Amino acid sequence: MEQNEASRRDRVYIDDAVMDIYKALTDDPNPEQSPFATYKDIFLLAACLGFQHGRRKQLSSGARTTIRLDVFREEGLGLLKALAIADTGDVAVLQKLGDVLTIAEEYAHAGIYDIKAQLLDERGRPLWNLVGLLTS
Amino acid sequence: MKLERLTLENFRQYYGRQRIEFSKDSKRHVTVIHGVNGSGKTSMFIALNWCLYGKDVVENIGNLISKEAMQQIAPGELVQTSVELAFSHDEQKYIMRRSVAAVRQVDGTIEPYNNEEVIMKRIIASGEAKDELSPGTVINAILPANVRTYFLFDGEKIDNFARPEAVSEVKEAIYLVLRLEILDRARKHLKEMERRYLKDLVQTSGDAELNALEQQIKQEEVVQKQAETRYAEVQREIELARQRMTEIDQELREKAVVSQLQQEREQIEASAKVASKEQENLIEEIQTKTTSAYMIVASPIIAHALAILDDKRVKGQIPSNVRQQFVEDLLQRLVCICGRPFAEDGSEYKSLLTLLENSVPRSLENEVLDTNNQLLVFQANGDNRLSEIKRLMQQRVNVKERIQILEARLSELELQLEGSPLEDVRQLEKKRQHFQADVESYIVECSSLEGHIAKANKQIEKLTKEITQARKSSDKAKHLSRKLELAQQGAKAIDEKYQQTADDMRLQIEAKTNEIFKSLVWKDSHFQRVGLGPDYNLEVIDRYGTAARPELSAGERQVLSLSFITAMAQVSEEQAPLVMDTPFGRLSSHHRNSITANLPSLTSQLILFVTDEELRDEARQNLEPYIGAEYRLNFDDATGCTAIEEC
Repeated sequence: MEQNEASRRDRVYIDDAVMDIYKALTDDPNPEQSPFATYKDIFLLAACLGFQHGRRKQLSSGARTTIRLDVFREEGLGLLKALAIADTGDVAVLQKLGDVLTIAEEYAHAGIYDIKAQLLDERGRPLWNLVGLLTS
Repeated sequence: MKLERLTLENFRQYYGRQRIEFSKDSKRHVTVIHGVNGSGKTSMFIALNWCLYGKDVVENIGNLISKEAMQQIAPGELVQTSVELAFSHDEQKYIMRRSVAAVRQVDGTIEPYNNEEVIMKRIIASGEAKDELSPGTVINAILPANVRTYFLFDGEKIDNFARPEAVSEVKEAIYLVLRLEILDRARKHLKEMERRYLKDLVQTSGDAELNALEQQIKQEEVVQKQAETRYAEVQREIELARQRMTEIDQELREKAVVSQLQQEREQIEASAKVASKEQENLIEEIQTKTTSAYMIVASPIIAHALAILDDKRVKGQIPSNVRQQFVEDLLQRLVCICGRPFAEDGSEYKSLLTLLENSVPRSLENEVLDTNNQLLVFQANGDNRLSEIKRLMQQRVNVKERIQILEARLSELELQLEGSPLEDVRQLEKKRQHFQADVESYIVECSSLEGHIAKANKQIEKLTKEITQARKSSDKAKHLSRKLELAQQGAKAIDEKYQQTADDMRLQIEAKTNEIFKSLVWKDSHFQRVGLGPDYNLEVIDRYGTAARPELSAGERQVLSLSFITAMAQVSEEQAPLVMDTPFGRLSSHHRNSITANLPSLTSQLILFVTDEELRDEARQNLEPYIGAEYRLNFDDATGCTAIEEC
């Protein structure tokens, strides 16, 4: 279980080591260059890709960027829960929000490298690479 | 400080209230209190110390309450012990009273009734008594507790200062009595401040950093200004070029041969502009959809999770609240839904129980149902999102194609104009293309300049913040430097003053001790002088110039100590009385005689507690002219009490 469970219930963590990927995909004013509006959107996509490829990675013990959990309330939280249910094969995990978040964080920490490989490292603008990824 | 009157009440062997008036006569300023051993001299000496400083300061005070008084009271009654001292200081009169009470218990034992109580009054000229609310502070200002033993001293300890190992005590005595402590404290305080300022200063940036920052910001401002000027220029150039192009377009339109071509070109350019804008909007719209790409990618995960939830439902593990309650009711009533009763150990009962046990805990039910609903909505959204992206992408392909067609037509028109058989048309078109190229390169330059300006602005903003900070720091640093300088100067000055004062005091005491010692010893031909060196070693130098202390007799050592103490009392100008408890007991009659002959002139008030042996014959005669008051302590063996009798 997460060591500081109580204090992290309102936060989602991103390892600072991958923050440059998050920034590259949101900061540019040209939408073709930055296909995402928020870190949350990237995080969720990364978590999905990580899960689909069966890759999961613990966050390093270094510095972290946090996203408030409120940001996920609208839609994202449902996905985080689905991910946790799919991962554990049970609904009991829903009683442990900390576990739900840790599962998503670890998949996202692996999945972000897939996003980098497919959107930034490929030829072409990230936006069209992403569309390609979605429509293929 | 001049002691005037001491009143004892039930203090040790002094039963009841008894009083002594000290001599106040300036010529006959010696008070002698006689008593055999055990008669209460030391008790009275202790009473005086206790009254002034309390039991926390006076060592080994023991039991203070008179045993006789304790005997006399009935159970439940209080016995009160007090010492009252009247004294004057700086033309003011004071009365100080310290008391303590005990109560007799039924079983005869005595228990303390309260803690020490101390009262001090200052008697003003009108005879009115004013309360002094902190007597300890008043006494400390008159005769500090830590120097009291040099003025109220015990004959037993008289040779303390002359012992070979007494260096530190001599030093401490000088340090305390001459109030070098105050200077020393100031010095330590300033040294501490110096250290603190220095530490702060290291952490505070100074002028050098501020100058460097100001230099940097100047450079940035130059860069920014240049870029802005050029940007304005380029904007004007673009406008001019566009104006020129419009003029050329106008000319071309007016030429009958190419008028149609030109008009078509203008139309197509307008359409291309619209299509471009449309394309731009589409890209933005696509981005608003792709940002939630997760919705689409999540589809299999959502399906997976929903399948798990479904499975639970099929297995009856996610019943609704109603159903759970319903099953519980059936179990309780032992009647099936069809009305048929069943037994508690029957298969129907067990089946229902399993159903209940396998179901998800009630606390989780809402969570599960909510999640299930959320996921259903989510799945639908994801599917919509993908089809929308596809639709937008198709639109984008269409727009792109349209733009391509328009651009192709434009090139064609350009070529036709360029290749016109008419020279002036050819020229105009060439110029137009020239201006068009200018505009394009100016636009690129503009965006580069915008970048420079933005960067410079950012940099200036950052530097401004840093400068504000550095300015604060710099002011603080200047302030700190000044403080540091003052602290250093102060510490240095005090250091010098301290050394100077200490040396000065030491030399004064040396001279005075020397003078007194010589007047007290009878064989001054043998001893040349008393030395108090920078190491605070109290030495007697003999006529061979060597330190003679090891050869000093016990009596001579006492004389040396006494000389030192009286010298110190005189140098300090402390205005304190000299109260001595059995000072001459261990002296030979020679020494006694010379001391008694000289001591009265060394102090403004002398109070001596003596045995008859200590003070007789010549010694007695020496003191006689100075004695202003004389008492005898009469100890009664039968009662264990002492009565004070005036002689």
